[in-house]
Amino acid sequence: MAQPEGLLYSKEHEWVKIDGDVATIGITDYAQSSLGDIVYVELPRVGAEIVQFATIGVVESVKAVSDLFTPIGGEVTEVNAGLENDPAVVNRDPFGEGWLFKVKLADAGERANLLSPAKYEEIVTAAG
Amino acid sequence: MSSQSLHRTPLYGEHVALGGRIVPFGGFEMPVQYTGIIKEHDAVRSRAGLFDLSHMAQFELRGSGVAAWADGLTINTVATMKPGQARYNIFTNERGGCHDDVLFYRLEEDRWLLVANAGNADKMWAYVSERRAGDVALADRRADRALIAVQGPAAASIVGALLPSDGERARVTAMKYYTCTPAQVTGAPALVGRTGYTGEDGFELFVDAADAVRVWRAAREAGSKHGLEPAGLGARDVLRLEAGMPLYGFELTEELSPLAGGQKWAVKMSKPDFVGKAALAEQLASDHYDRIAGVVLEGRVPARPGYAVHLGERRVGEVRSASFAPSVGNRNIATALVHKEAVIVGTTLGIEVRGTVHPARVVALPFYKRQS
Repeated sequence: MAQPEGLLYSKEHEWVKIDGDVATIGITDYAQSSLGDIVYVELPRVGAEIVQFATIGVVESVKAVSDLFTPIGGEVTEVNAGLENDPAVVNRDPFGEGWLFKVKLADAGERANLLSPAKYEEIVTAAG
Repeated sequence: MSSQSLHRTPLYGEHVALGGRIVPFGGFEMPVQYTGIIKEHDAVRSRAGLFDLSHMAQFELRGSGVAAWADGLTINTVATMKPGQARYNIFTNERGGCHDDVLFYRLEEDRWLLVANAGNADKMWAYVSERRAGDVALADRRADRALIAVQGPAAASIVGALLPSDGERARVTAMKYYTCTPAQVTGAPALVGRTGYTGEDGFELFVDAADAVRVWRAAREAGSKHGLEPAGLGARDVLRLEAGMPLYGFELTEELSPLAGGQKWAVKMSKPDFVGKAALAEQLASDHYDRIAGVVLEGRVPARPGYAVHLGERRVGEVRSASFAPSVGNRNIATALVHKEAVIVGTTLGIEVRGTVHPARVVALPFYKRQS
């Protein structure tokens, strides 16, 4: 399955949508499928300064706890409030309603460290 | 353990063909899920689920000495079982800890089936073999037998459809819980038990390994109009935890007694003697042992095995099993092994999750009980 265009990706299976100086971040369809039924998402607080590729939260499925890394650095401006009562939206719509948080970019140059849809697709294919 | 040394059940090919996600469990490559743990769980609670339990060890016991011999090794009574009965039991060690929790099925006066956990199978086979005495013959049936469970409110309709006649349907679907009977299931000779590990009505079909694929496929076919779904180990673990049933390695271990593990109901101190009886008598007399409590977390954060449990400022134990529980109001539930003052229903405990303590309330087990 091709990865959605217009997004950048990390090796840790997050996606980033950059719109001006704000980035929206989520996990990919591959990530949600590997995790299985998601029951809890722990995100950084609004106002927190986060650094590219740092551990900034957790995603918990019925079976496992997984660290959440941020694919890009900056100040957290918004978290998806809908996840509190309906974390399974990440399973249903990982690239849409299941987005996780937004950051005001610290350094627009960090996008160079991310992967194109085609490059990310190679990683997913290799992972089986 | 490398994948070369893992066993496969006769249904492995079915699991792969159904898209099952295969994981190592108890020395076997088993499906943890097919389409999703919650979806499979919900199918069992509302309709029916189909499980491959062929990884569980089947040992056949024969002879006039089996009942007395087994009574000397286990906590529950064996000799009072009648042919056609099934009973939960635990093999204890001298310290009162648990070698394994098992089911005995009395097939005939002098013929029994003992079902042990996959992860304990080698240990248990060695244990019963070394202890064999008197008129007791043991046969290891692991290589040539399979076990398929149909669990859920539609289980009787589905299993009924596999039987050869209306008379057989009436007889088998009228079976009481924890009984067993021989029957022809889709033409294969089977032992049918009305037993399970889900908290729902259900049947377990013990068949020859050579018949397993045929019975599995026939059950799927008969179950399709009832919404039956194949269900993996992930759903099974959520279902058993909601139903308050122990899992060996979590609520019961060589170090944890049946009393600690919440299985006091099965400890028959009226039996003349059994391995571990003195240690259990001491535990009962002193009442000083950590024990399992059921807890419901108040917030949305899940607990996990090993998380610390606090009562006020004091650490009183740890989480043993935990899960998101669709049948307990979509709350997170757990079993916690705690000091005895922390097991009182209604007590608020604290569960430490990544450095933060979250409140959890002690509740009576089971968390979930079906409406009968």
